[in-house]
Amino acid sequence: MRVLVVEDEPDVIRAVAMYLREEGYSVDTADNGEDGLFKGVTWDYDAILLDVMLPRRDGWSVLSELRRQNKTTPVLMLTARDTVKDRVRGLDTGADDYLIKPFELSELAARLRALIRRSAGKSQPIIEIGNVTIDMTSRTVSVDGTAVALTAKEYCLLEFLAIHRGELVTRTKIYDHLFDEYDASLSNLVDVYVSNIRRKVGRELITTRRGMGYIIDS
Amino acid sequence: MFKSLRWRLQVWHAIVLLIVLTSFGGIVHSLHWQTRLQQVDAELDRTAGVVMSQLRRLLPRPPGGRPGGGRRPRRTDEANPEADTGARSDANTAATTSRPDSSRNEPNPANPAALSSDQSGRPGPPRYDRFDPGPLPEEFQQLFHGDEESRLYFVIWGGNGDLLQKSDSAPEISYPNLHVGREGLPIRLVRSRPGDQAYREVIHAGMFDMNILVGRSLEKDLAAHHRSGLLLAGAGLVILAAGVLGGGWLSSRAILPIAEMTATAESISALDLSKRINVKETDSELGKLATVLNQTFDRLQSAFERQSQFTADASHELRTPLSVISTHTELALSRPRSNEDYRGAIETCRRASQRMKSLIDSLLLLARFDSGTPSLKQDLFDLKPLLEDCAELVDQLAAERRIRIECDPDSCYVRGDWDRISQVVTNLLTNAIRYNIEGGRVCVTTRTEAETAILSVTDTGVGIAADQLSRIFDRFYQVDKARSRAEGSSGLGLSICKTIVEAHGGTIVATSKVGVGTTLEVRLPRAIESVTTAGTKSNEIDKELLLK
Repeated sequence: MRVLVVEDEPDVIRAVAMYLREEGYSVDTADNGEDGLFKGVTWDYDAILLDVMLPRRDGWSVLSELRRQNKTTPVLMLTARDTVKDRVRGLDTGADDYLIKPFELSELAARLRALIRRSAGKSQPIIEIGNVTIDMTSRTVSVDGTAVALTAKEYCLLEFLAIHRGELVTRTKIYDHLFDEYDASLSNLVDVYVSNIRRKVGRELITTRRGMGYIIDS
Repeated sequence: MFKSLRWRLQVWHAIVLLIVLTSFGGIVHSLHWQTRLQQVDAELDRTAGVVMSQLRRLLPRPPGGRPGGGRRPRRTDEANPEADTGARSDANTAATTSRPDSSRNEPNPANPAALSSDQSGRPGPPRYDRFDPGPLPEEFQQLFHGDEESRLYFVIWGGNGDLLQKSDSAPEISYPNLHVGREGLPIRLVRSRPGDQAYREVIHAGMFDMNILVGRSLEKDLAAHHRSGLLLAGAGLVILAAGVLGGGWLSSRAILPIAEMTATAESISALDLSKRINVKETDSELGKLATVLNQTFDRLQSAFERQSQFTADASHELRTPLSVISTHTELALSRPRSNEDYRGAIETCRRASQRMKSLIDSLLLLARFDSGTPSLKQDLFDLKPLLEDCAELVDQLAAERRIRIECDPDSCYVRGDWDRISQVVTNLLTNAIRYNIEGGRVCVTTRTEAETAILSVTDTGVGIAADQLSRIFDRFYQVDKARSRAEGSSGLGLSICKTIVEAHGGTIVATSKVGVGTTLEVRLPRAIESVTTAGTKSNEIDKELLLK
């Protein structure tokens, strides 16, 4: 999952980005509204964390411009303003959720997971495919009730494919969503992750469409 | 309810209306009675004339009397032609037909009438001391037989007060002792009967040396008058009721805008200050009141908005370092970390807490100045050493950015708090360095005017656009947010400077040109020269003493 964090306080950005990376997300950052809007429009993020008080272009304006350009990326607003008026305005402008500073990183991560899940049309936090169970809350995978140890990236790839179950997921899409702007896009990296998952979870789960991408059949 | 303006207006209106109506009705009523009495009097006069002319026929002609004696009553006859003709015909019939009925006129002892001249023997008007025209004709008596309510009567006395004649209908009336005029001219007197106001009497005294009284009962008139009085009172009541109702309608109409204003003012609360009173007629008193109230609401709303904006800004500024602490501690504790990571997290938290501390200090300082208890010292000092101290303090920062500080102020005394003024100058210098171009200059100067000491700090920075320049003293206003944030500024520095300078009775002004630089000028009241010289002298004396 790839998320964009737009926030002007460098210390907050650092902590949030690091925490989310440790959670297995790919994180891009922007410290002002203009950069945030540019990145938000250019890339297909799974979610955007957007601060309201931003230099050069405030959060409201970034959000409304994103929506005007038909970007449906789920947006979680971060703000130090907690008046009802501000919250209503945020939700009316097209924000999907709201988090007031100071916030807990764990709550931020939970809301982010829920946002991404909802936007993919899955409201249940548990996905079951045959004998494989993916719990998105605890970020664990089990086969026939036995837990399987996956690395963060392996888990993310499996979760991504599972969420888009029945769809063909191209390699480009995987790169776009699972690697951030600083990751070198080595073409065989995805293949390595896929073969690792097959080894740990089962061969027949992920099908390769040669020259196109991967799919988990529904 | 009964203390409301409307009720009071209503009651006062009713009282005034009642007084006006009552007095008006009273006046009309009494005028009406006067007119009626005048009519009665005229009628009685006419009757007296008739009686007199009738009696004249019965009287023997005075011997050797001047014709004037007979002429006088004729004049009365001519004055009342219609009464004259009627009476004469009556008298003629009475004289010719009915004579015998004399038994009723008993109080006339002398029969026939005794005629005497004046005691002095001088020829004068004839006097009828005794007079008995004999029994009055029946028809004549009939005239004075009205019903009880409008009873008419006459009484005739001689010049000396003897009763000569009276009608059957006449009650007992004592002789009104009238002083006839010296010339013997007849006088006329109108009165209500003594002891009984329901009778009206007219007395003609001195006619043929006789006094004739004609009276009439006023019972009918009184009844009619009473009826008209009732009518008047009824009409008055109707008018009063209409007036009170109309007044009520008017007062409720006049009160209506007040009720509207009350409702609007009631609905204005801290949550919704946007409502305003609908002003229809701006020139009326209530319209003016509404306008004034609306202006007050405007001021209230803007004060509230400023206040809530300030609170929101302050909470935002406080939450940001708090988020830093919260996220970094959580991140550090989320899994085992290296010592390096922990150190980094603690360092970040320390920075954030320092930022909170300085922010809280600033807010407290502003709050103290706002509440009007700043506890400023009132020392006398020279600005020159103060400026030099401050310049030295920021020297390190300036050197980092290769900025040259030109500080060559003149001596210039002011009275105030050294520490606070230092805070202002340090703040201005820090800004001048932070928002300057690399390798730029900061120039600190002083100059004096008649009663003002002026210190100015000029930089060679990027400058501030005119629309932003007016806002730089606003709390939490930052011209370049990204840059201010990077510098750890909260946007309170200049508003603190302004507050401190104003508490010293001074002003602070900013002028700027984009691309050239910004000048901030602090104007403080200058301390009096004589005191300053005395101060320096005593210092010199102290130094001399020390040297010794």
